[in-house]
Amino acid sequence: MPEHDGLMRVFWPADLPRSDLKGVVVGWRNSALDVFVVAILEAVEPRNVENALKLGTLFRNAPHPVSRIYELCGQSAIHVLGVSNTPESVEIDPSWVRVTTGASGRVPSVTCARALSIQIILFERPLPGRMQYISLNPIALALGDKQNSSKHYFSESGEEDEEKAERVNKERKRQLVEKLKQHSVIKRPPSSKEKALAKIVNQMNWAWELDNLLQKNVSRIGTRPKRSLSVSERVVESATTARDMVLVWIWDLLTVYVLPVIKKGFVLGLMSHRIAAEMLLLVLEWRARPRYAALKDISATAQQVEIRLQQFCYWPMQYVTLRLRKNDWESVTTSHPDYIRFYNSLWLVANDVIIGIALGSYIIDNAAWVAEEISQLLSTYTVDALQSSISWLMGWPAGLKLNGELAAFLGDLFLWVIDYWSSCIEALRPALPHIVWFIGFSSFAGASMPIALFSDLLSILTIHIYSFYLASARIYHWQLNILISLFHLFRGKKHNVLRNRIDSCDYDLDQLLVGTILFTLLFFLLPTVVVFYLNFAIARMAIISLKAIFDTLLSCLNHFPLFALMLRVKDPRRLPGGIRFELRDTQDFRLSVNDPSRQIPSTSVIYLKSIPLNFKAMFHQYFQMGHRIRKHYLSPRVVLCLLMGKFVPPLNRKNLYSLQYSMLPARRAGVMEMWDAVNSLPARKRRPAPVQVPILANGRNRYPNNYGGPRSRSYA
Amino acid sequence: MLTTSPHLYIRRPSPTTAEFTVTTCPPLTLPLRLALFGILLLRIATVGLVLLAIYTQYVAATFTTATSPTTLPDLSLSLSLSPSDLASTLQALLSALLASPLGIWIAKASSHLPPYAFCGLSYLLLYISLVTRIHTTESVLVLRGLGIQTSSSSSSGAIQKTRFIPTAQIQDVFINEAFRGFEVRYYLVVVVEGEEDVVVVFPRLLPKRRIVEAVWRGIRGCLYEQRSEANGGYHFQGGNVWKDGGGGKWQQQRQRKVDGGEKGLG
Repeated sequence: MPEHDGLMRVFWPADLPRSDLKGVVVGWRNSALDVFVVAILEAVEPRNVENALKLGTLFRNAPHPVSRIYELCGQSAIHVLGVSNTPESVEIDPSWVRVTTGASGRVPSVTCARALSIQIILFERPLPGRMQYISLNPIALALGDKQNSSKHYFSESGEEDEEKAERVNKERKRQLVEKLKQHSVIKRPPSSKEKALAKIVNQMNWAWELDNLLQKNVSRIGTRPKRSLSVSERVVESATTARDMVLVWIWDLLTVYVLPVIKKGFVLGLMSHRIAAEMLLLVLEWRARPRYAALKDISATAQQVEIRLQQFCYWPMQYVTLRLRKNDWESVTTSHPDYIRFYNSLWLVANDVIIGIALGSYIIDNAAWVAEEISQLLSTYTVDALQSSISWLMGWPAGLKLNGELAAFLGDLFLWVIDYWSSCIEALRPALPHIVWFIGFSSFAGASMPIALFSDLLSILTIHIYSFYLASARIYHWQLNILISLFHLFRGKKHNVLRNRIDSCDYDLDQLLVGTILFTLLFFLLPTVVVFYLNFAIARMAIISLKAIFDTLLSCLNHFPLFALMLRVKDPRRLPGGIRFELRDTQDFRLSVNDPSRQIPSTSVIYLKSIPLNFKAMFHQYFQMGHRIRKHYLSPRVVLCLLMGKFVPPLNRKNLYSLQYSMLPARRAGVMEMWDAVNSLPARKRRPAPVQVPILANGRNRYPNNYGGPRSRSYA
Repeated sequence: MLTTSPHLYIRRPSPTTAEFTVTTCPPLTLPLRLALFGILLLRIATVGLVLLAIYTQYVAATFTTATSPTTLPDLSLSLSLSPSDLASTLQALLSALLASPLGIWIAKASSHLPPYAFCGLSYLLLYISLVTRIHTTESVLVLRGLGIQTSSSSSSGAIQKTRFIPTAQIQDVFINEAFRGFEVRYYLVVVVEGEEDVVVVFPRLLPKRRIVEAVWRGIRGCLYEQRSEANGGYHFQGGNVWKDGGGGKWQQQRQRKVDGGEKGLG
C-alpha cells in the first residue's frame, strides 16, 4: 500500500553504541517507509553487506535455526536500510536513510530522500538473557484456560442468582457495543503501518540478540588484513587446549556413565509418585452422583491435599516446557509467564514448608499446652457460653417478656443436647493432645496443612451449633410462614399457588374464627422463637467468619504472587504491563545537529517505554475473590434469608477457590502423557569440544566472542 | 491565583505527531514558582510537625515516668556515618527537639486533644499534605500509524497513568454530551474495539466544549492520513455529535450513550 503522507517511521534502539565511524544501518523494512533498525555495522561497504545478507554469511554460527527469526519477526529478510555518518557526496539508494550519530547526541538525525516527515521512535532494547521483554498487553500471571469451565459450573448450579444477573448485564452491554459498531461513521481499513505494531514489538524483543549475532559475524565481510599468532599466544592457546581436553574427558565420563542412571532413577521415582497421586486424586474427586459434593468440596484438608497433588502433577509438565525453551532463541518470549508461574509455585511451596516446619516444631513441642488451650476454648465458648446464653434467654432477657413455658421447653431441649455434647467432648479430651501432635506433624508438609486441619477441626467440634442453628431456623421459618398465611386469612385472602399471587377468598365464619385465634397465639409466641433463632444464627455467623479467615490465610499461602512481587522489585522489565510513549522536545535535538545548512525534514522524537505491571493487576484475583465473597454474604438476599429463617447457603467452594485453581490447568495431564513428556526431553547438547575451532575466513577470530581485537565492540 | 480554569497546550513537532495537554496550571511565572515552592515547604513542615506530635504522644504513652532528657544532647554532630552513631545522633536530635519550646508546645497542644481527635486531625493533615495536589494535568498523545495515548499526571508528576490504544483497535473518536449534576458536559470519547467501556479522554478535568472540539479536530487530522478533502475532513455537524435524551448521572450516561446515539441519528 503506497503511503501518501510521506511519513517515515524509524525505530531506533536508544542503547545502540554511538560512534563517529562510517557504518551501514541494517534492520527490518516493514513497509516502504517503516523501518526498524537492528544494528549498525561499521567499517564495511554497503554493497558487501547486501551480498553477505543474501548469502547468509552474517547468520553463520547461529546457535538455533535462523528461519525462526524470520517467522517470529514477520519478515522474510534483513535489509540494508541506509548508511550512517557518510558524507553527502556519496550516492545512495533513494529509499535508504542517511543517519548522523555523534558520540555526544543521544538522538540520531535521520534523513531520507522519500520522506517528508519523520518519526524517530527510540526504545531501550530488552535483554533477552535476563528474560526482559516488551509486550502490548499486560503479562498474564494466571492461566487463561478457565473461562469455559467456570461458565459451565455456573450454568450447572441453578442457585447462582448473582451470576445470572451478571450474565444478563453482560449480554446487554454486548448488544450496546454491537449497536455502537453500527454507528461508526467512517470505516478505515488499517494501513500496513498500523497493522505492523504487533510484529514490531516482536522485533524489539529480538533486537538485542540479532544485533549481537550480526556484530559477531561482521568480521567475515570483505577482506581483512591477516595476522598470524605470535609465539606467546600459541603457548597460551596450547595450554588452554590441554586443560580443556582433560575437563571434557572427565565431563564425558560423568555424562555417559553416571548421569543416565541418576536420571532413570529420578524419572521412575517421579512416575511412581504420579501414579500414587492419581489414585489419591481419584478418591478425593469421587462423587456418588454427579450433583453430589466430592470430598474436596466438603473438607478444607482434602482440598489442600488436592491442590498440592495437582501442583506436583503439573510441575514436570511445566518443567518440560521450560526446558524446551533452552533449545530455542532466548528472545522467544512465549514461555516467560510460564517461567514466572512455575517458580512462583515452587517458591510458595518452599515457603510454605519453611513456615510449616517452624510452626510444626512449635506445636509438637507444646502439644500438651496447645491441647489444653483448645479444650479450654472449646468448653468456654461452645459449651459454657451457649449454656449461659440459653439460660439467660429462659429468664426474661433484657426485660423482654417471653412466653415462659415455650422458652423453658426450647431451652431445656437445647441444654439437654449441649449436656450430651459436652460429655462427648469430655470423652474426646484425652485424645486431643494426640490430635494436636498429629496436626503439628502434618505441618512438615507445609503450614497450609495445619491451617486446613484446624479449619476442619473447627467444623467438626462446632457441629452442635450448626445443628442448633438448623433446628431453630426451621422452627422459626415454619412459624413465620404459618403467620403469613394466617394473616392472609385474617384479611380474607389467600395465596394462590398455581398463579403465585394473592387472591381474595370467602372463608366461613368458623374458619375465620379459628384462624384468627391461631394467628394471635402464634404471634405472641413469635418473640420467644426469634430470640432463640437469633442466638444460634449469630453463633453460626461467627463460625463462618472464622472459617473465612482460615480460608483467606490458606489462599495467601497457596497463591500469593510472591515471585512476581520480587521480580517487580528486582527487575520491573521482566513483568511488562504494556507500552507507553513519550514525546520529546525537539529543540535540543535540532541544536545537536551541528550542521545548520542541512535540510532536516520535520521530525518528532518519541520514546517508547515499557510499563511494568501494576500492583493492582498482580492482585487482581484477590480483588475478584473479595468481590465475590462480599457479593455473596453482604447481598440483600442473604439478609432476607436470615430474616426469613431460611438456610443461608455457604459460598460454593468452587467459586471461592477459583483463585486457588487459577495457577493450574483445567485438566491435568494423564500419567501416560507425563511419561511421554518426561521421556521427550531432548538429550543434553554435547558441549562442542574446544579443539574443533572452526576455521574462519580471516583466521583471526578464534573465538567468536570478544577476544579483544579492534573490531569487536563491547556492550555495557 | 494558583490554578486557572483548564486550558489547552498543543505540542506538534511534526504534522503527524501531536500532544494535547489540558492543565489547570497557569504559565509558570516567577511569583507562581515562588508560591509553589512555599507550598512545598509548608507541606514538608506540616508533615514534620505531625510526625513530631505523634512522637511526643508515643513518648508520653510509653515513658509515663517522664524521663527528663538528662543526657545533654550533644549537637556538635560528629558526622561519622556508622549506623550506631547515626542512631544515637538521631536520638539526641529527637530528644533535643522534644525539649525545645516548639516540642513542649506541641506536646502540650496534643495532650489537650482527646485521642480520637488527635488521630483524626493528624490523619487529615497528613492526607492533605501528602496526597492532595494543586494542579491536574491530563494529556492525549496522537501518533499517526501508532495510536492514541491518554495520560493523566499529578502536579508532582510522580504517578502517571497512561493508556495506549493502537490505531488498529480504535473504532471511533467522537464528542458526546452528558448531564452531570445540573450542567451539560461535552466530552471526548475513544471507542476501543472489543471493549465494553469507552475510554474518556480528560476524564477528571472534562474541559469546555471549545477545547474538546479543538482536540477532536486535532486528533482527526493527526491520526489518519487525509485521503481527499471530501471525506477526510471534519463532519462535526454531520451527526457524529450525539444528543442524549434523558438526564441522569454521569456514570449512567456513559453506559447509555449508545441509546442516545441512536435517537440522535434517528
